[in-house]
Amino acid sequence: MKRSYLKTVIMYCIRELQGQRTIYSILHLLNGKKTSQTIQDAHLFQLTPLFRTFGNLSRDVIDNLAEEIASSRWMTAADNGHYILTAEGMEELQRALLENPIPSSLNGWMYHSAGGLFWERISLLIQVISHLNNNHVKYLPIQRKRAVHEWLKDFLRTSGFARDEVGAVLNRELRQCLENLNDINPAVLTLRLTGYNRIGLTAVQASEHLKISYDYYHHQFLGTIHHILESVRESSDYPLLEKIVSGTREAIQLTLSAQKTYTLLKQGLDLEAIATRRNLKKSTIEDHVVEVALYERSFNIACYVSEEKQKMILHAASSSDTLQLKQIRQLVPEADYFEIRLVMAKFGEGQ
Amino acid sequence: MRLEAILQKKFGYLAFRPGQKEIIESVLAGRDTVAMLPTGTGKSLCYQLPGYMIEGQVIIISPLLSLMQDQAEQLMLNGEKKVIAFNSFLTRAEKKQALNQLNKYKFIFVSPEMLYFESVLSQLAKLSIALFVVDEAHCISQWGYDFRPDYLKLGEARKRIGNPLTLALTATATSEVKADIKKSLDIMDCSEIIYSVDRPNIALSVEKLDNFREKTDRLLELADSLEGPGIIYFSSKKMAEQTADLLRDKGAKRVMAYHGGMDQESRILVQQQYIHGQLDLICATSAFGMGINKDNIRYVIHFHMPLQIESYLQEIGRAGRDGNQSIAIMLYAPGDEQLPIQLAESELPDKAQIDWIEKWIKENPNAILNISQFEAQIKQLSGLTDVQWRIFNDFFERKSKSGLDYRRILQEMKGYYEGRIKFKRESIEEVYKWIHLKTCRREHILSHFNEKKSVSIHFCCDSCGLELKDFPKNTNSDNQEEPLYDWKSHLEFLLIPSE
Repeated sequence: MKRSYLKTVIMYCIRELQGQRTIYSILHLLNGKKTSQTIQDAHLFQLTPLFRTFGNLSRDVIDNLAEEIASSRWMTAADNGHYILTAEGMEELQRALLENPIPSSLNGWMYHSAGGLFWERISLLIQVISHLNNNHVKYLPIQRKRAVHEWLKDFLRTSGFARDEVGAVLNRELRQCLENLNDINPAVLTLRLTGYNRIGLTAVQASEHLKISYDYYHHQFLGTIHHILESVRESSDYPLLEKIVSGTREAIQLTLSAQKTYTLLKQGLDLEAIATRRNLKKSTIEDHVVEVALYERSFNIACYVSEEKQKMILHAASSSDTLQLKQIRQLVPEADYFEIRLVMAKFGEGQ
Repeated sequence: MRLEAILQKKFGYLAFRPGQKEIIESVLAGRDTVAMLPTGTGKSLCYQLPGYMIEGQVIIISPLLSLMQDQAEQLMLNGEKKVIAFNSFLTRAEKKQALNQLNKYKFIFVSPEMLYFESVLSQLAKLSIALFVVDEAHCISQWGYDFRPDYLKLGEARKRIGNPLTLALTATATSEVKADIKKSLDIMDCSEIIYSVDRPNIALSVEKLDNFREKTDRLLELADSLEGPGIIYFSSKKMAEQTADLLRDKGAKRVMAYHGGMDQESRILVQQQYIHGQLDLICATSAFGMGINKDNIRYVIHFHMPLQIESYLQEIGRAGRDGNQSIAIMLYAPGDEQLPIQLAESELPDKAQIDWIEKWIKENPNAILNISQFEAQIKQLSGLTDVQWRIFNDFFERKSKSGLDYRRILQEMKGYYEGRIKFKRESIEEVYKWIHLKTCRREHILSHFNEKKSVSIHFCCDSCGLELKDFPKNTNSDNQEEPLYDWKSHLEFLLIPSE
């Protein structure tokens, strides 16, 4: 079976969701759909590492895989389109995870957008250094976005490293950082790199070279990138990598539109005023606020939901067995959906 | 001598290739020019060089985004910084910014769709335009009417920005296509510089087989025995991919597929691997090739029948740019002509569909002024595909703006589509005839472009006598053992200068 790793990931999600969500919530999670429901589910069920790690997954594919899982009797239907793993399913999942563990460094929620930008930057930077080293100036850049080119020019001018030492420092830092990878072969990343007279492999080629399935390769590649980003965040050992990462992190957090709303919030406008100013529906602005609450740990929600209501909602959430907004609403009728979502966003994870 | 001096200084070439100088001189003399040079003989230079000699901007209209990017990159490679290509590699903000300061640039690449926007036209109109270039101008006729109604706007756009000096470049054009180009751009009095479409160093061969299976077997044999690098063209992404997989399964390591469905980065990498000799064979759709600068391609095989002689010539023209002996092979099995016919017919709405829509509009007359609002409804009731809908919508909106009654519009539409389908069927028929030809294939192609075969060619075509053992494989790169991969030494190789 060609996509058995993906099947493992889906079964893993089914286990974590405990029969409380449909198969399609897994699709939305892996696609990284930026809706409050998906974002909140990811946090509630601790599936944030998998967020947007299969961005192109289609409905058909997940339908087919779900059917296979069901016909192997690894899961059974609970009610209303929800599923749970059977005992055999649990066993199979454990076996599969032992064989192909989900990379421990994977962190889609934190790094899904910074990761892409970081890869564009570092792959282009390495190509440029390699050509400089060989005194070659005529070559086609492997990344085409103008923004990345502008970044590179800027970086070479202002990085604070002399041109002839950038390569050596980057080699040292990358090597050290990649040596700390636990469960991934660093070749996953380095095979993809392009330099003077040596064009990097595509993802498909690299997975074939390493003799692992494409899906598993894909997660390992993301895991490697996320590992680098996490290392840079945690440690001061990587000053050059840090310079490359810098500016990608702010971009990761909020959707552009939510950022705008957040800026206006900080200027003291209320939701109505922002909706009018931005010519958007109030419900959209509310979605933005929920998003901000998820990203900004320091974001204070007291001016949207009173402390007392917060407590009631949290209490209802912990006594309800499903974590569904509808059920919480029934338990706390005086709270509206916005307030419930906001509280769950703020305190949902790690309850 | 002045031109040669500039050629050397700006581009590092010592001499012009055939045709280039004549075209450049025509442009520099201020004449609108339609120029036809065979594929792979340096058409871009014909606008780049005059660009440096005339004050003002060079606007290049490019039909394909990938081609546009390739050409912009070639210019930048040459050290030209004042280049901008309006395509998806720019964010919307970047586009807007660039649009507001167009006079900062020398070479401006624009897609025909963009000329729909008044905001673009008005900015262009402010410039003093040195040269208005329509690249791959045969697209105006070849698929312009169907897929690129935008091309019909080119003449209008040209007028709007002050009828600048115009150069239309194409690799292949029959007299009808040339007439279309001139008419559409409104440059009826232009000078025409036409070079032969013939590429004497490319031998032509057609192999007739009994069925799909035999074709596949033969393809594997050819890929194994011909000297590469090569390209195999397919008309579907899936077939391109499956065949590449099949070839790799059989042990040919240096083979990859290339098609428009791949992500951007993979496409760049595969293209570059091929150019750098890390790959020997590409299984491709027609998305591959335009703008690829690789001199030593030795063979091009067509697994499916092309839609017309013109596109076939373009595709095989990618072989042998270094002037060395190369070969083009078309594989044919009975019934192969059905696929292109189906493709051609499915692109356009048919009579019955148009009748359905007519009935619907009669019941919903308020839709006439705002037909695009009813996309979902109309699609559902008539079964139009996305492509068909786009064509329908463009046609309808254009005509209803000029105040025509909807019944007249739909009537015209039917007539127009019938004409297009007839034309396409004829084009396919022509390829079919060419495949079954018993006489010289080259002569036939040349006569299609009103040319005569003037020189005798040793390896001409299978009708004139050709054996594949004349094109043997000299090297065998498949057997080379790949060295063990060590990531640390690879990093070092990339980042540390070798002593």
